[in-house]
Amino acid sequence: MLQPILKVDLTTRQVENFFPPNEWISEYLGGASLAARILFDFLSKDLDPLEARSPLLFLNGPLTGSAGPAVGRFAVCGKSPATGLWAESNCGGFWGPELRKAGFDGVWVTGRAVSPVWLWIRDGKAEIRQADHLWGQDTYQVQASIQGELSEKNVRVASIGIGGESQIPFSLILCDHGRVAGRTGMGAVMGSKNLKAIAVKGSGEIPLIDWEAYRPIRSRANRELRAHNQSQVMRALGTAGGADYFDYIGTMPKKYFQSGVFEGAEKVSGSSFAETILSGVSACHACVIACGRVVTLADGKRRKGPEYETIAGFGPNLLIDEAAEITHLGELCDRYGLDSISMSNTIGLAYKMYEEGWITPADTGGLALVWGDAEAAKTCVEWTARRSSFGRLLAMGAKGLAAHFGQVEAAVQVNGLELAYHDPRGASGMALVYATSPRGGCHNQSDYFLVDMGHCEDDLGIRFFERQEGSVKAANVARHQDWRTVGNALVLCQLANVPPKDVLALVNAASGLRWSLEDLLRSGERGWNLKRVINVRLGLNRKSDRLPPALLRPLPDGGAAGYVPDLDGMLQAYYQARGWDQATGMPEKRKLAELGLAWVLVR
Amino acid sequence: MDHPFPSAAWLAAFQEKLNQDQQYHEIAHNWEGDILFSIQADDSLEESTIMYLDLWHGTCRQARILEDGDIPKAAFELQAPYSNWVRILKGDLHPMQAMLTQKLKVKGNMTYMMRHVPTVLDFTRCAQEISQF
Repeated sequence: MLQPILKVDLTTRQVENFFPPNEWISEYLGGASLAARILFDFLSKDLDPLEARSPLLFLNGPLTGSAGPAVGRFAVCGKSPATGLWAESNCGGFWGPELRKAGFDGVWVTGRAVSPVWLWIRDGKAEIRQADHLWGQDTYQVQASIQGELSEKNVRVASIGIGGESQIPFSLILCDHGRVAGRTGMGAVMGSKNLKAIAVKGSGEIPLIDWEAYRPIRSRANRELRAHNQSQVMRALGTAGGADYFDYIGTMPKKYFQSGVFEGAEKVSGSSFAETILSGVSACHACVIACGRVVTLADGKRRKGPEYETIAGFGPNLLIDEAAEITHLGELCDRYGLDSISMSNTIGLAYKMYEEGWITPADTGGLALVWGDAEAAKTCVEWTARRSSFGRLLAMGAKGLAAHFGQVEAAVQVNGLELAYHDPRGASGMALVYATSPRGGCHNQSDYFLVDMGHCEDDLGIRFFERQEGSVKAANVARHQDWRTVGNALVLCQLANVPPKDVLALVNAASGLRWSLEDLLRSGERGWNLKRVINVRLGLNRKSDRLPPALLRPLPDGGAAGYVPDLDGMLQAYYQARGWDQATGMPEKRKLAELGLAWVLVR
Repeated sequence: MDHPFPSAAWLAAFQEKLNQDQQYHEIAHNWEGDILFSIQADDSLEESTIMYLDLWHGTCRQARILEDGDIPKAAFELQAPYSNWVRILKGDLHPMQAMLTQKLKVKGNMTYMMRHVPTVLDFTRCAQEISQF
């Protein structure tokens, strides 16, 4: 049961309600899948993601704000300035539920304001306000400024930092206690529209079709989720709870994906943070897991602690083993509004290029880039956010930086998006995930590394294959991607280990559907294929499904030593399982028709 | 090597294995913590059984099957139906898979547990090597 989407044209300052057709909602549910359907006709190859007509769509799912198991999330979608392809990123906190209480389930922004503005949404109404005084503020400052200006309690603010203002292609959108839509550069699109922030406040009820049926399922699902082994690990150690194990089996990258061993790794795992600087936990809306970290450093100030990707990226990836330094680097990224995965990857590449002699102090503004040097990394972040000195090159991201110096294959990225920190040499399923993800080198379209460690789902037919097996697991990967696409439509947190039958029951009660698990999976498959078609229209082809050379070289040591995934063989099996053409990588007509997507062929 | 699981004889053989296995001794040299193994009755086991193992720096100082009312407080409790334990001991179910899919429930200090995954895995290897089904 989706409420209207608030459509805002910042050029004309016109505001109207948009109601997606009911059949779209029942075919795509919400979140990223529904966003793909809504934006299908507005994304073209010639569209510059940073031009005024480029769309930016914030969208809830049918469960957002319902206090179900880790469902307080929203998606942000459009065309990525980092990849030129489909962009989506989802985010927790409280912003999505608040938007829903305000009577909207989405905000669709187009156009460009002549000067900085922010958008104020309050119980069915919207107002565009001037933001000149907010421009230049960091993501936490702007929240405080707007909350102070409004003098209302519990106003939720999603904003960009100076990274988004200067349209750095990997800039993020942040809300609440440091929850971010980090990947694919949606902060840059927001900045290109001169839109500093969107503040929301609502007092309405969360609309569900059948609350009576929903409540007992929700209670059971939350109880079970809270008791789950993995939730206990996440609550105690955060998302880096698995870091010790990832290190042990060789899935946690070190030294920009070049080394399998880092002596300091045990000093920067979730366990280590818990034993040293952890002083509390934080949770998104109604979440029973509470994976968010609160840490206290030497200055005595309580602040957000880093999650796994930030720890891995600024820790073992740069050979930094000091928890406080990693925390500061993560906070810099959050405040400036930069995605910590892309930023730490790009810095890792710079360190490698410096070590190789491909760049020198003459290129880096005199800055020595030495593995393990946290101060140099901080300077890199500062310079990137301000596009100053060497930061002008870092701001292009890993692919751009490498290409600038004629070393494009040195960048560990897929289709322009820097890789998340789950090495496919330790968990081979990630080879397919990265190569085929609709948004590039990302782990949030399928966290298959967990399946490779044993997290299968019997009810969905998602089986366990050995971590370093090849094409035999291709169909399994596809099925897992479909399931995660359902999650990204709902919008469900990936940490929510809710039995699929309970997810189904929640969706049916919330939406008035009478679906089976297969129907739900089919909706995920439909969303996955629609995003594929969008990307093909944007220029993606069979050759785009690849891994960077660094990941096709065996590691010399560590838990994944000596193994490289057979990507070609896996892709062949994957296309077959997907019903995609082996030569073009495009979904075959038969598959499109089966999924109710035949209409894309005439567009 | 043909002691039925779970039984006092199996537990004695397991304790002996843990105390004699050099690899386990090295990997588990930092481990300090006792564990309750709760083997729950199911279609293949009539009565639930709880085993207690006191593990200390790569050795097993004590191992016994607990009687009703004699349940000490332990650092960890691992709980699963009998058939899941059998699958783990036969090597058909990886212990990490069992934990991730709730086929094996874990209570205790998760920080410590995640710090010592190699110990847990080698402990499992020792159990597998003395088990026959």
